[in-house]
Amino acid sequence: MFGQLLDPALLTKPPVDAWPTYQGDYSGRRFSTLAQINQSNVKHLTLAWIERIHVGIGQGAIVGGEGPVPEGPPTDPGVSTIKSTPLMVNGVLYFSTPDNAWAVDARSGREIWHYTWKTRGGIHIGNRGMGMYGNWLYFETPDNYLVSLDAQTGKERWHTEIADVKQEYFSTPAPIVVGNHILVGTGGDSLDVPGFLEAHDPETGKIQWKWWSEPLKKGDPGFESWPDEYSMRHGGGMTWLPGTYDPDLHLYYLGTGNPNPVLTGKSRKGDNLYTCSIVALNVDTGKLVWYFQPSPHDTHDWDAAQTPILIDADIDGHPRKLLAQANRNGYFFLLDRTNGKSVVTAPMIKTMNWSKGISPSGQPIPDPAKEATIDGVLVSPATGGATNWPPPSYDPQTGLFYVGTVQEFSMFYLTDTDPHPEGWGAAERGVGDFGGDLEAIDIKTGKIAWDHHYPFGGGPVGMLTTAGRLLFTGDGARHLVAFDPANGDILWHAGLADDLSNGPITYMLDGQQYLVVGAGDSLYSFTLEP
Amino acid sequence: MRARHLDVSHEVSHKVIRAAVALLVTACAPLAAPLAAPLAAQTPPAAPDPASVERGHATFTSACGFCHGSNAKGGEKGPDLLRSVLVLHDEGGESIGPVILHGRPDKGMPAFPFSAQQIKDIANWLHSSIAATKDRDSYKILNIVTGDPKAGEAYFNGAGHCTSCHSVTGDLKGIAAKYDAVTLQGKMLRPDFSWKEGNPPHQVIALSFTVTLPSGQSFTGEPMNLDDFNVALRDANGAYHSFARTKDGPRVEVNNRLQAHLDLLTRLSDADIHNLTAYLVTLK
Repeated sequence: MFGQLLDPALLTKPPVDAWPTYQGDYSGRRFSTLAQINQSNVKHLTLAWIERIHVGIGQGAIVGGEGPVPEGPPTDPGVSTIKSTPLMVNGVLYFSTPDNAWAVDARSGREIWHYTWKTRGGIHIGNRGMGMYGNWLYFETPDNYLVSLDAQTGKERWHTEIADVKQEYFSTPAPIVVGNHILVGTGGDSLDVPGFLEAHDPETGKIQWKWWSEPLKKGDPGFESWPDEYSMRHGGGMTWLPGTYDPDLHLYYLGTGNPNPVLTGKSRKGDNLYTCSIVALNVDTGKLVWYFQPSPHDTHDWDAAQTPILIDADIDGHPRKLLAQANRNGYFFLLDRTNGKSVVTAPMIKTMNWSKGISPSGQPIPDPAKEATIDGVLVSPATGGATNWPPPSYDPQTGLFYVGTVQEFSMFYLTDTDPHPEGWGAAERGVGDFGGDLEAIDIKTGKIAWDHHYPFGGGPVGMLTTAGRLLFTGDGARHLVAFDPANGDILWHAGLADDLSNGPITYMLDGQQYLVVGAGDSLYSFTLEP
Repeated sequence: MRARHLDVSHEVSHKVIRAAVALLVTACAPLAAPLAAPLAAQTPPAAPDPASVERGHATFTSACGFCHGSNAKGGEKGPDLLRSVLVLHDEGGESIGPVILHGRPDKGMPAFPFSAQQIKDIANWLHSSIAATKDRDSYKILNIVTGDPKAGEAYFNGAGHCTSCHSVTGDLKGIAAKYDAVTLQGKMLRPDFSWKEGNPPHQVIALSFTVTLPSGQSFTGEPMNLDDFNVALRDANGAYHSFARTKDGPRVEVNNRLQAHLDLLTRLSDADIHNLTAYLVTLK
């Protein structure tokens, strides 16, 4: 491609003068090799600019979409919250919220263009960001369209429907670009629909392959983990967060969501593959190569969708290709990413009470007594999980994995006593929590190397580590904080107008290292005082 | 919490909830309850006329229930209609109507000569059933009084140490006459949060902060903020006090008068909860 903005080779390297994909690079580590900003000068970080977004039609927005013209500006708070990780390519930041996408000058924070989508509906809770291929951008909408824009102008090239909003699908992921595949997932678990991942052609939007998260009929892979076709058709296994990719193994790694009905398993006895699973797919064919299921037969909404981070490290003196995930169910998992075999399984929170232990294969063993009953059972974590979608980070300099966690309890009451429940099937009532933690986990043992406790805040929040020996994250009390990743000492902080709401990014531009974070409706850019 | 899941999603987060509490509990401490407050609900579609829904239910049960199941989730012959793409895309019976009137002879479904109103009623009932299935905040908690009241009483007087603060002839006298079982259980498990069913949740201030300066001067009051860099409180006179937190102080003490209830969460078995509930409901 001539004169393209994004050189595809960038995607396979640690990000330096670009942040070209959701995770910065394919590994999902969110570790930058940049060290201009480092422990010795982080106290001199200063605000470069703030850009506040204005959503919806008006102020010169380019308008697309299949829905009616809205009667007023969007009021859903999810639309005005930047949960997306921006891309930065050639001095331009690209980011999105539900139904909205922007290009912003990375030097000044000024808007270059704004695209807005007239929606047909769907849940507008968040959007993780965009994917880029050459000069083209891709993002997904709550009413399940994949939209491609011209990065230069923000003008729409095409859009294509990937799922039916009337069946309660809604789409939040950032598309991931691997070769000439645009990898697109979806979400939604209100009405018992199956999940899938699709690859689309970057030029035409046409579908290349589709992988279903569960068997659709007897004889399909995984069918023996469901009692019948009725139950497998109720599906689940939503693909609502971006995955990671190993170019050498040619595998795309993805975590899948919960099975349906969500909080009761009586109509779906068995492990319910491939829900709540980490799967490795051949990126050219969409065929499953291996899987590991962190929550067999989940009945608590503990998606395994969290970022599967790819790590190369020595275990017992031997170099290994590994994959680490801090899971919503409260466990940390380290796998061999060539075959999906368990290396480490370790609990991340003390309150966890749903598991009877760990099987020889490294899977937690669910305690059936902690599945919702009519008179209620007390379970930790709550459905929101010990952690959730905000991106964690792995720092190869410390060997530690950084993740925000929370220790909550909920009561789970069975409300649908039909032999074939649908929807959620049970009600949850939150009854208390023991605060949040920033945890630094030693990947080789699963032990917590250090922990920063927040009695009233913290919890799942985005992380970034850098070669400057810095860990940037939020504290749930509106601060952007720089920690020493080796020991958890606080080195710098800045008060923002809202809580950190995305994963921080960093890049070099004009010889300066920048740090860019989203907090609520604004992007903040920091750099060193000249 | 009922509130958490109005935010119908996978990603409900601790901080989102804390922020919602801060918005909701405008008059008091923003940080007393990181959990559980109602977030803005998705705007529901206009609810159909309940009489029409009722008629539709009756018609469906007698004419359609044999094949599709009385709850429309599917039966021996007919498919699940709550997850039917045709039904989900229907508006007011316009797609369902032709199927009812003409049947599906190829699949063994006969035609039904229903009036336009009957078709609309059936459609309204199906759409309201779908809405009830997908709206998990509308799910009704069933009978939770299954435990042994004697065992609950023993726990109350013994292992639970409940009598160190409570008395069934004092503060808890007649409590079961005031609250239903679900509310009572909620008050026991989460007393810093009053959430009588159907009413907006109400924050109970359980926390206080005491900040002691290096000089020895101290301030006590209702919590306004506590993070790694700042502590703030409002004292009994209504005055707001804010302090920077550094290595050298000030010293901050957090007092939660309901800490014993929070700590119970790590000790209670499900049987203890059921038994205590069965006992509490006897305190009429």
